[in-house]
Amino acid sequence: MTAPPPAKPEDEQPKDAAKNEKGKDAKGKPLTEEEKKKLEEEEELSEEDKQLREELEMLVERLKESNTDLHKPTLETLRTLIRTSTSSMTAVPKPLKFLRPHYQTVVDVYQKWPDGDNKRFLADILSVLSMSFSEDGKRESLRYRFKGSSESAGSWGHEYVRHLALELIGEYSAFDEADTVEKTDALLDKEDILKLALELVPFLLKHNAEADAVDLLVELEALVHLPQFVDKDTYSRVCLYLLSCVQFVSPPDDIECLTTAHTIYRHQEKHTQALQVSMRMQDQQMIQEDFNNCPDLLMKKQLAFLLARQQLSIETEDEEIQEILNNSRLSEHFLALGRDLNVMEPKAPEDIYKTHLEGNRSTVGGGNVDSAKQNLAATFVNAFVNAGFGSDKLMTATEDGSWIYKNKDHGMMSAAASLGAILLWDVETGLTQIDKYLYSQEDHIKAGALLAIGLVNAGVRNESDPALALLSEYVDNTNSGLRIAAIVALGIAYAGTGREDVGELLSPLVGDYKLSMEISSLATLSLGLIFVGQMNGDIISAAMHTLMGDREDADLKDPYAIYMGLGLALLHLGKQSQADATLAALEVMGNSLAKTILVLVDTCAYAGTGNVLSIQRMLHYCNDHIDPEKENDRFQAFAVIGIALIAMGEDIGTEMALRSFNHLMHYGEPVIRRAVPLALGLLCASNPLVHVLDVLSKYSHDNDQDVSTNAIFAMGLVGAGTNNARLAQMLRQLAAYYQTEANHLFVVRIAQGLVHLGKGTLTLNPFHSNRTLLSPVAVAGLMVNLVAFTDTKNLIFARGHYLLYHLIISAYPRLLMTLDEQLKPFPVTVRVGQAVDVVGQAGRPKTITGFQTHSTPVLLAYTERAELASEEWLSLASVLEGFVILKKNPEWEEEEADGAGK
Amino acid sequence: MCQRGHCSPDSLLGPLAVVIKWSGNKYNVEVDPTQPGVVLKMQLFSLTGVAPERQKIMVKGGVLKDDADISKLGWKEGQQLMMMGSAGELPAAPQQKAVFVEDLTDAEVAQALKLPAGLTNMGNTCYMNATLQCLRAIPELQGAMVKMSGTRSGDARDNLTSSMRALFEQLESSGSAVPPLVFLQVLRTAFPQFGEMDRSGYMQQDAEECWGQIIHVLGEKVPGLTREGDINTEKHFVEQYMTGEFLTSMTCDEAPEEGTTTGIESFNKLRVSIGSGVSTYMLTDIAKGLEEKIEKNSPTLERSAVYTKKAKISRLPAYLAMNFVRFQWKADIKAKAKILKRVVFPHDLDVSELCTLELQEKLRPAKLRIKEVEEAKSAERKAKKARLDNGTATAEDAMDVDTPAVSGASAIAEVEKMKEIGVDPSLYQDVGANVSGQYELVAVLTHVGRAADSGHYIGWVKHKDNQWWKFDDDKVSQVAPEDIDKLAGGGDWHSAYIALYKSKRIE
Repeated sequence: MTAPPPAKPEDEQPKDAAKNEKGKDAKGKPLTEEEKKKLEEEEELSEEDKQLREELEMLVERLKESNTDLHKPTLETLRTLIRTSTSSMTAVPKPLKFLRPHYQTVVDVYQKWPDGDNKRFLADILSVLSMSFSEDGKRESLRYRFKGSSESAGSWGHEYVRHLALELIGEYSAFDEADTVEKTDALLDKEDILKLALELVPFLLKHNAEADAVDLLVELEALVHLPQFVDKDTYSRVCLYLLSCVQFVSPPDDIECLTTAHTIYRHQEKHTQALQVSMRMQDQQMIQEDFNNCPDLLMKKQLAFLLARQQLSIETEDEEIQEILNNSRLSEHFLALGRDLNVMEPKAPEDIYKTHLEGNRSTVGGGNVDSAKQNLAATFVNAFVNAGFGSDKLMTATEDGSWIYKNKDHGMMSAAASLGAILLWDVETGLTQIDKYLYSQEDHIKAGALLAIGLVNAGVRNESDPALALLSEYVDNTNSGLRIAAIVALGIAYAGTGREDVGELLSPLVGDYKLSMEISSLATLSLGLIFVGQMNGDIISAAMHTLMGDREDADLKDPYAIYMGLGLALLHLGKQSQADATLAALEVMGNSLAKTILVLVDTCAYAGTGNVLSIQRMLHYCNDHIDPEKENDRFQAFAVIGIALIAMGEDIGTEMALRSFNHLMHYGEPVIRRAVPLALGLLCASNPLVHVLDVLSKYSHDNDQDVSTNAIFAMGLVGAGTNNARLAQMLRQLAAYYQTEANHLFVVRIAQGLVHLGKGTLTLNPFHSNRTLLSPVAVAGLMVNLVAFTDTKNLIFARGHYLLYHLIISAYPRLLMTLDEQLKPFPVTVRVGQAVDVVGQAGRPKTITGFQTHSTPVLLAYTERAELASEEWLSLASVLEGFVILKKNPEWEEEEADGAGK
Repeated sequence: MCQRGHCSPDSLLGPLAVVIKWSGNKYNVEVDPTQPGVVLKMQLFSLTGVAPERQKIMVKGGVLKDDADISKLGWKEGQQLMMMGSAGELPAAPQQKAVFVEDLTDAEVAQALKLPAGLTNMGNTCYMNATLQCLRAIPELQGAMVKMSGTRSGDARDNLTSSMRALFEQLESSGSAVPPLVFLQVLRTAFPQFGEMDRSGYMQQDAEECWGQIIHVLGEKVPGLTREGDINTEKHFVEQYMTGEFLTSMTCDEAPEEGTTTGIESFNKLRVSIGSGVSTYMLTDIAKGLEEKIEKNSPTLERSAVYTKKAKISRLPAYLAMNFVRFQWKADIKAKAKILKRVVFPHDLDVSELCTLELQEKLRPAKLRIKEVEEAKSAERKAKKARLDNGTATAEDAMDVDTPAVSGASAIAEVEKMKEIGVDPSLYQDVGANVSGQYELVAVLTHVGRAADSGHYIGWVKHKDNQWWKFDDDKVSQVAPEDIDKLAGGGDWHSAYIALYKSKRIE
């Protein structure tokens, strides 16, 4: 971000000090005659300046005289001189400079004068003069301003207004100090301050200084008054600045910024922007209002697309809108994108591995032996690469499901479930294809089919609600494998929906201590996914009770127990201080998991906020050197991941986090070092920054096996869905390097699959809409996997590999598709380039750089932005991402006609 | 809720039209709400072919039960319903269960992958392990050893051959690494220098020395073979298969009138004298080494004079070992210094230019034959590739048939072939001799490190075309021919120390 952070009074102090340095002689001690002479000799003045000085001196003399008649014209002359003085921005204007020696004289004169117009007039002038002579902290300008004639401050020029704004902020903040020390009578009334501030704001807004205007009101805690001054010319810049401030101001100012921006957007009838702000605030009621208050049906449809991207649902009568909200046509649109990009041909894992380029073609010699681990990897690669395309070369190519039997035991579950990922979003066809495995004699396959049902329904909703209908009967199945599959599938299918009926089905499992910890924990996780960021009180208390005492300590040592903590944490996602109650309860909980879960909840609550204090708290956790033999040190791993979770999505925070990770990698304990690659993966998901790749590439050869496997997985996350050639080459080298290490090779394969996620059309990054909105569901999906990789031995490399499928809920096409008013895909030309930060920039700066022109649909990388190439069409959405409805620009004139004329 | 009979006429209205979505298709069905769910399922069976028990029709809160009261489900006219179900056959488990490498023991894995067994390092014995693995590349030697009689005796040298035979047999059958305990013991008894110790245990030894000593013992103890592969006690195996002959000629440079004295010398290996020139090709380095200046007493001059000694090969053995003279004794540092220079060695070698003119003439027919066969083969490969590219390959094309092992019968057939193409009888009657001058690389012994007595030795043995084994003590892995090319030296990577070539077969 290039915008200056809101000006704080402290920031301005050096400037004041500098000013004072210059004018020091003028005030305080009067100069002696000798010094004065010296000063004069030094300054060689031009004729013009001399004349001006003499005139000013004469005017001051005249003010001292008792002849009151002359005062008024004198003052007027003074005013004209000051106002007309045009000098450079850096220097003190000439009249002010020449008046410097006489400042004290004028002040004396002012005090002698009786009240009246003249006195007020003089106060005005003194107020301006004080701008450069006043002592630090006295805020003389402000004081004289209030004694003056209250004529428009703007008439004295921009610098004066800025100065007044500054002193207002200083005065206001003095109130807080005064509360603690003592009341100074010098303080002005808060109302007066506000009144003056509101006089200044319109001037600032009109003169391209919306940053100053916003800063002033933020400091005076008076943002409520801002909307009335904003009009259609200024709203976009004001809101842009407001929204970019959110991450830098401390609560509750951030909420204030958001609501103000929202109000302005509402006033200006910018529905999509308003809705985006509401979604950012996670305020269900505001979202509902934004949606319902939109008068235009077409615009409403566009809003529905935005809501669908964030996987929010709203009740509506309109079938067409309901269809959009349900994401019903996501599969159809995604396939259209696939056809347009010519990537419909299914890919086999070998097409991704390209083992002939690995340099060493001999991993397994004889063809008649399969490696269960490598086949399992191939299953996942196949699922990730062909995700959403509905066809592949292992599962759907043959009717007999022979590939499933190439997997061993619990591997079969993931193999059958891969069908769900391949047929993602296509509920009707998907269910038919999955159905045949529901009759399997093999429980693992049956469990896989259940999971597949969940996956097919991920992110899409259907009127018939097939996932719940089919899965509910298995939630109480006696076979724990089927039971777990059904629970996980429900979590995946209904992630983010907040469906109460699904919640009621799963809630009893959380607190039932007769169940295995694995089932209870995964049920909590699924509930956490379904009610992500919704602070569902019943579930929270059930989970807390289970953790507090209903369970044996041995249960809490179960590898899956951590998912109860994650489920709990996900419920608080983005809720910031609202999570304090839960945190306090966890604080007093004495068991071995408590601190780990505390960190999880704390970081999830501040996910994507960039909250510096939270990051510092996490860094503090990493300071301790704990003996893992004596104490559970796992919380440190989550503190590291938490840093990424909090800092992500904000450029400066990301930079700082990267730097911190570098230190942690050097000086941290093993548990911290193992978590650092995962944190990097989260921080830069689907955003393959070259320097991050280089760092991960280094870690991928680390002696600590967990560091290297995690680094390899992180490489997959960082490059997810990008087809990044450089990364693909690195991973091929790693495949050759680790060809004898089964576990490493497994993760290398997974990473290769992720890099080609959806053949390079899907993204895992939870941020969208110009990187302003965080999809809670996507964060949750990533977190499930990161947690799994903090304990690879017991989860990913054991039976828990199916947890990888949670990545599917984070996946979304990184596309821009333009639709016409009938919602049919409608190709137009767009420019796609690197996004440029334009906050606080003057004029109408270019928003993208290094662009190329494409015809929609088009893929967008994490840092890219699109804009329409011609003005023939108008976009209903404010951000060209995802699905955008276009309508004809009524003012558009065909240029062709002119061309033909020539 | 309305009870039947008390309902208003509206809800009793006959059939309800609903839309069933299944597998991407829509079916319009008229439902009689008074009938239980199973009736609807029967209707759908006739439309979709999905058996009623497999039909799962999504209704609120679950799937439609057979006895469900449809009138209570609150369906509207035109209600859309989704059905899940499979028509037709269900996938069955395959007859043959997949075998997973994870379920097998190490031995089974090695068997499944056809990975040969390695030799455990008994403490700086990699020189020996590498040598033994390279010697295993001579199947005829194992054949001869199996058939020879010999038991344990007091003679350490007898014991060496018998323990080597036992070890080779063990390696053949074992899936995991074998510790060469007995052989090592015997080797150290026979050659006490290999038992040398320093503070940290047994010392590293020079593999070339080990190779030489083993060959020496084998030369004494292992009997020769007949053409049919039987024991021929009159000959020795090493003499037949691993020994060549030079025809040397010596002329005195200072007194050319003295004339040329000729002689016959035998050799077990050809020296690749790297130090002698700038050449980086194995064959030219060998050729250079075959011509040397020596100083000896001249009978005519009656003083020591410089003689030029030229050697030409007059007999080529079936197995030809090349010794890269990489180590030179440096007096100043009192150590063997290693020459790291890169010396390129080919996979296919033609040594006929090192032979006497007479032998070259004899080699010609077989050489031509081999060339012809190779050309035919490469043409066939090309054709096959073209067929594969066109997608018209037959099953046989796809399968590469392994070359059958050398057996007595095929050896006889080979002799017949030689007669047919007109190979000189003196050659094909000489068992264990090379008849064409054409060789292929079958084993490489490499050294990594800066001195002969330190570093690490590894054996690389050819398994079949495009596939080599790397024997790094107990770790055996598969490598590609390109990896063998990298052993030419010129850096700190493993560099070839001994290269073993084998005669090409006449087909």
